[in-house]
Amino acid sequence: MSTAYPLPSGLSQATVTNTASLIRIVTLALISGAAIASRLFAVINFESIIHEFDPWFNFRATKVLASQGFYEFWNWFDPTAWYPLGRVVGGTIYPGLMATSGVIYNILHALNLPVDIRNICVLLAPGFSALTAWATYMFTKELKDESAGLLAAAFIGIAPGYISRSVAGSYDNEAIAIFLLMFTFYCWIKALKQGSAFFGMLAGVFYFYMVAAWGGYAFITNMIPLHALILILMGRFTSRLYVGYSSWYAIGTLASMQVPFVGFQPVKTSEHMAALGVFGLLQIIAFAQLVRSHLSSKQFQNLLFVAVIGTGILGSLAIVGLTYKGWIAPWTGRFYSLWDTGYAKKYIPIIASVSEHQPTAWPSFFMDLQLLMFLFPAGVFLCFKQLRDEHVFVIIYAVVGSYFAGVMVRLMLTLTPVVCVSAAVALSTLLDTYIDPVEPLVPEEATPSASGDDSTTTSASGSKKAKKPAGPTESTTAQSTPKPRSRPGIFGLDTRLVVIFNAFGMLSFFVFHCTWVTSNAYSSPSVVLASANPDGSQHIIDDFREAYYWLRQNTPETSVVMSWWDYGYQIAGMADRPTLVDNNTWNNTHIATVGKAMSSTEEVAYPILRKHDVDYVLVIFGGLIGYSGDDINKFLWMVRIAQGVWPDEIQEPNYFTPHGEYRVDDQASTTMKNSLMYKMSYYRFAELFGGGQAMDRVRNQAMPKQGPTLDYLDEAFTSENWIVRIFQVKKEDLLGRDLKSANAFSQGKKRKRSKPTARRRAIV
Amino acid sequence: MLRLTGSLSLVFLTLLSSTHAHHSYSFENTAIVRQVELAGSLVQVVTTYAVKALEKNAKAYTIALSSNDKEKTSWLEAKVKGQQQALPVRDHGKEPTNGYHLIDVELPKPLGLNETLNIVLETIQTHAAKPWPASASQNDEQSLLFKTDLFVISPYQTLVQRSKLRSPTPRIVEFTEPKDLEAFTLDTPATKSGATITYGPFNNIPPSADEDFLSKTQQPISVQYMYDHPVLEVSSLKRAAEISHWGSNLNIQDEIRLRNGGPELKGHFSRLDHQAQAFYKRPSPHVLPALSLHLPAGIRNTYFYDIIGNVSTSHLRVAPAPPKSLKSRTPQYSVLDLRPRYPLLGGWNYTFTLGWDSDLSDSAVYDSKSGKYIVKVPVMTLIPGAVVNQAEVTVILPEGATDVDFSLPWPAVSTSSSTVTTYLDTTGRPALTFVYERLTTRHDGDIYVSYKVPLSAHLKKPTAVATAFMGLFVLTLIGRRINLSLHPSKTA
Repeated sequence: MSTAYPLPSGLSQATVTNTASLIRIVTLALISGAAIASRLFAVINFESIIHEFDPWFNFRATKVLASQGFYEFWNWFDPTAWYPLGRVVGGTIYPGLMATSGVIYNILHALNLPVDIRNICVLLAPGFSALTAWATYMFTKELKDESAGLLAAAFIGIAPGYISRSVAGSYDNEAIAIFLLMFTFYCWIKALKQGSAFFGMLAGVFYFYMVAAWGGYAFITNMIPLHALILILMGRFTSRLYVGYSSWYAIGTLASMQVPFVGFQPVKTSEHMAALGVFGLLQIIAFAQLVRSHLSSKQFQNLLFVAVIGTGILGSLAIVGLTYKGWIAPWTGRFYSLWDTGYAKKYIPIIASVSEHQPTAWPSFFMDLQLLMFLFPAGVFLCFKQLRDEHVFVIIYAVVGSYFAGVMVRLMLTLTPVVCVSAAVALSTLLDTYIDPVEPLVPEEATPSASGDDSTTTSASGSKKAKKPAGPTESTTAQSTPKPRSRPGIFGLDTRLVVIFNAFGMLSFFVFHCTWVTSNAYSSPSVVLASANPDGSQHIIDDFREAYYWLRQNTPETSVVMSWWDYGYQIAGMADRPTLVDNNTWNNTHIATVGKAMSSTEEVAYPILRKHDVDYVLVIFGGLIGYSGDDINKFLWMVRIAQGVWPDEIQEPNYFTPHGEYRVDDQASTTMKNSLMYKMSYYRFAELFGGGQAMDRVRNQAMPKQGPTLDYLDEAFTSENWIVRIFQVKKEDLLGRDLKSANAFSQGKKRKRSKPTARRRAIV
Repeated sequence: MLRLTGSLSLVFLTLLSSTHAHHSYSFENTAIVRQVELAGSLVQVVTTYAVKALEKNAKAYTIALSSNDKEKTSWLEAKVKGQQQALPVRDHGKEPTNGYHLIDVELPKPLGLNETLNIVLETIQTHAAKPWPASASQNDEQSLLFKTDLFVISPYQTLVQRSKLRSPTPRIVEFTEPKDLEAFTLDTPATKSGATITYGPFNNIPPSADEDFLSKTQQPISVQYMYDHPVLEVSSLKRAAEISHWGSNLNIQDEIRLRNGGPELKGHFSRLDHQAQAFYKRPSPHVLPALSLHLPAGIRNTYFYDIIGNVSTSHLRVAPAPPKSLKSRTPQYSVLDLRPRYPLLGGWNYTFTLGWDSDLSDSAVYDSKSGKYIVKVPVMTLIPGAVVNQAEVTVILPEGATDVDFSLPWPAVSTSSSTVTTYLDTTGRPALTFVYERLTTRHDGDIYVSYKVPLSAHLKKPTAVATAFMGLFVLTLIGRRINLSLHPSKTA
């Protein structure tokens, strides 16, 4: 047998195995290091800070957990959120993330390592990304072999699609959920392959952890039953499937019901019915097989016919009846929006107003996955070629994941692992083929086919088990023996080198791409903005923290702050003040109330503000420095959400110009100009430009010289770049006048006699 | 070698108070000149007493302070004019009913009959000037009101005395014109020239440290003046100094609660006006946009953060540590330009944490004779013009330190010791906590702590960590060798 390049000879089997295993461990360690390191851009470019919006709540909850213990946390009622309603935090969150950080915190402190809870929270996601890399390695190893596993681990370690949700500081449920997802899937595959109740139980336990950590657990809840169902339909029902599924479902479901937020959902809501149904189906099939082994085939066919029709009718009737009676909750709106992307916009504007719930744009697939996107179909194809049970799983996962990633930007996250796995399978197959030193035998044709077939099947059915008994004959040419089949091979070193160099070139481009995307697109805390000084040095725009800290230090602790819900968690976390609404958008009416106050005139808004004890109103305004994520740009969502509740009072078309444009300059509609949001955003803005033309740099519109005036609110604080503006709600006039005429009086204007007196009474 | 001046004077002070019984000698003040430097939180009062002994062998001169002055005074030092050495002073304790306070100053050498001496008493009063009017809007000016008594009181007869009150700017809004002073002067009792207001000279004042004089003749005077700098006060300062011999590191961390003690902001803060003021270079006198602090030379890893994270708007210029051999008189500083997140307006608070590492050898020596380390920890970092209302200095010694001794530059309000457990400690580190009140810019002394660290204590941490890892490895070793499989035949 000729080889394309010389191989070392005289190595013992033990040396090769040990070296390979050492290299694997070192590689895995390096991959983990790379996964962690690439997520630290955010810390190095900025600082160790919690990012964005939701993580601020998680961080706050974790602080409660770490400082007051688990029971306090469990029973935590937060009176400062959703003022005046409050929020039962313990029962409305997935506590897995906080519990994880809390456990780490307590362990470290028990070892007298006083690590700040903030640093634990910031670094949790990078830490778990290393674990994800390991879990992906284990998963892919089951699919193909260790080398594919290492590739998959490296891919998931640096793929931007996953990094986007797990950079340091992005302390969100997804940070640990992807690890749990992959590990649960690994346990499931392992349970299925071995028919092991132990791994089934492990899958159940990790499923429980996942349920406790992320609402996306429903993905597992449906993926595993779907896989099981398809295996049954493919005629692959085995006792291994039965054991694996039953142990996962029984333990996982019972455990998941211990999470208060989930409670009885696993037996009551539609999303969980598939798992229950498949569980039942498996029992029936297993029972049928038992019956079949005791009956003659004729009797059995009759019995089967009757039983299948009977149970089918009964089952459907039961489900329909239960849904009708309301015992099984029908699908939620969020769920519908997964099937109809226009649904949310029409019926649930709150869901649609979140940018991460928008359908994915094509470029973001390339941005998040680059090379992997092209290798992904090849990997899925290779799965079809082998089509063992676990390959079926990957195929289903690929199809489902692709669909969901197309529907919602944030679900790109669930697609990424399977893309990494498939791409790794494809690339490792390619490399296997081209690194393999064995050159095809030209003269002989079919002689070694029998032995070759044998070894491929054994290595396929269980690569790990197959290797060991193969013994020392495989020592140096372990990979080569299965090859000399009648399949084509590669001659010479040059062809190999061309392909391998090309592959490595692509991989290195991938690495550069990932690094670039991570450092430029995904590492911004969004609490802190970066810009450049004229000399090129970094300039930090820290307006948010400036304003929040001002609130925290210089206002009474009980002052209620009203802002759009995006900033609720940040205000609670950084300013430590009660808020009306926050990112836990559970009460649509309350949010609509805030939307109404923001989009109405001062006179209409004032009673709303007073009734809700609002002391300060906070708006985000980017017009001065061109920060496009400001409230004026979000304003239409406030209008839409308010319109959903008060269609008579708030109408979206009123906020557009007669030509249907959304403008803020001279031509803006009267409703727009009189709205509280507009007034607060542009209050005294024109004066900043002296005599010059005031420009809104986000919307590129010239502002009128005469800016809006405020009668019911006072400007209390404006941050350095005017991004955050805080207004104080005036108390009622002491003389019982309405504030508008009081203001006019103090400015020396003559009071208009025509003012109806009724307005005085309107203000309570 | 370090000089333990603070402790020496302290020892001397205690010696003095124990041995020297209270005995008043008879003097006459030929002249008293009081000069008051009006400022923000801190007002410096320098009183020069030209004294003549009326008896032989007069060893101590008694100074009287009114209760008001005593209450405000947080720093007090008496010297002979033209000399550097401070004279030991002894407080008689509080005499609340009399409305005055007596302090004995030990003279450097006993005075003979009719011998004269000039004694300079320097005090710093805190919170003596208060914003008046008590609130001001953002564009208003800041004026402060300082109240004091007209006469400098003394237990002795005074031939002539005058008080000069010097304002930082010539813009003095108003000052009291005292009346009914025909007994002491025939001129106008108060004259203003430039930034200085002079009261007096007043002649032939009887011994004034008695109730009768205070109730009948003494008058309050007040000056309202413009002040162009923010009035700063540190509501609380918590300093922790952690000593590490392994890292040869002294970490100092200050938790500071800064408050603008100027007039309360009337109305609201307008960024537009603030930016306009900055643009026209006419900053409001009571707005603090930034302040610069002098940190020690040769520091590293400086950090400046508050509850919600790093404060990015600050700059640090580190000076290298001066070489040990060079005993330069001009100390070098690292300068920290510290900008709070938001400008501090009247009545606003800002809390932050400031810390740094420095080489332990810069502030510690090992005394091989006694086998002790001596470490110098500064009481505070000066914030120019600010008073520190409450300071708590904690010195955390290395784990296992014994024979702990300390000497303070001036007595603390309270001293306590505790144990702090941090970074992989097993038994915890001894810590000393000193509480001070109303520290001024003159209180920039050092605390000296001496202690022994046996070798076994040095080795405690590596041993503990090594043992823990060893245990872990042994457990793994055992764990790897136990086969828990139900079907051992399969895996074997």
